[in-house]
Amino acid sequence: MAEELVLDTAIRDWVLVPLSVVMVLIGVLRYFVAKLMRSPSASPSPDPKLVKEGQVVIRARNLRMNAQYIPAKAFKSRKVYYTNEENGLLHVPKEEAQKAQAAMFSDPNMAMDMMKKNLSMIVPQTLTFAWVNFFFSGFVAAKIPFPLTPRFRGMLQNGIDLSTVDVSYVSSRSWYFLNLFGLRGLFSLILGEENATDDAQKMMQMGGGFGGNPTMSLAAEKDSLDIIQHDWALPKMEHHAEEVLRKLLKK
Amino acid sequence: MAAAATGGGISADVPILHSENLTSNVKSIYYSRTFLSIISGVVAGIWGFTGLMGFVFYLLVMMVASLGLLVKAKFSIHTYFDSWNRILIEGVFGGLMSFVLFWTFAYDIVHIF
Repeated sequence: MAEELVLDTAIRDWVLVPLSVVMVLIGVLRYFVAKLMRSPSASPSPDPKLVKEGQVVIRARNLRMNAQYIPAKAFKSRKVYYTNEENGLLHVPKEEAQKAQAAMFSDPNMAMDMMKKNLSMIVPQTLTFAWVNFFFSGFVAAKIPFPLTPRFRGMLQNGIDLSTVDVSYVSSRSWYFLNLFGLRGLFSLILGEENATDDAQKMMQMGGGFGGNPTMSLAAEKDSLDIIQHDWALPKMEHHAEEVLRKLLKK
Repeated sequence: MAAAATGGGISADVPILHSENLTSNVKSIYYSRTFLSIISGVVAGIWGFTGLMGFVFYLLVMMVASLGLLVKAKFSIHTYFDSWNRILIEGVFGGLMSFVLFWTFAYDIVHIF
């Protein structure tokens, strides 16, 4: 355990540094490729009905989030406006909902988009992994400066089958994985917030707005608007306003 | 730190938060934490910290960051954020991975080879 391995400086010059630089560059490249692939699909004018539904969802969400800042009566009337069973904005008739769902499944564009997004994630990763495997497999590339239990051997010494090497030595393949996870922070700094990983989350969040399944999100929004507890946050507001006005009058 | 998060505490019982500003504030915390974790990783590597020492250093840096945020918020957390946890732990664990990576990288380059 105690004996130190001597690592050749050539490993640093030809493995450690290039690998890290390549990882960063590939991350940047992936970001721009994803951007390029995304933009043409977003530009054709979307179906007006879809846009309308998305906007309704956003309005309903705004109402739900800011419900406590309006009086109970105002909230109730708005809620009825959105959720009543006859002509509420969020109400979707049953047969229409089924139709929309069927249309969604038969729409090849959606699947295409998802494929594209996934591909732009997976292809570079597979390629890099293959590249790392091909050029740099099977030797120690780095040493982490803290001790770890032997449990981590599988994680950190992927590609070296020696049980006598101290666990804190990292094989090149595992250095690739370390980079993969650790560089996320760096990417969010150099690429701004719209980096690939954040993007997926954002898509998830505003899935109701555009893309996704609008009728589904309408129904979901209706449910959450139905169950919300109204709790007015500003009961003293009128009193406060009166005070302010009186003060102004006195001047 | 961009804008003030709250539209002034008119009613004392319920603070009114402007969620967009809050998000922007939290984001700026996240960025500064990430930046600090990378820089502190490089510094720790160059200084040759090993073992627990490095993590202690990271925690220290994060504490200093919290302190800095506190000063930046002029000691009134609730004007800018919804809870103390925001300036204390937001982004600390997210930055740990970056810290370890850059720590290892700098340490290897300077001390191992």
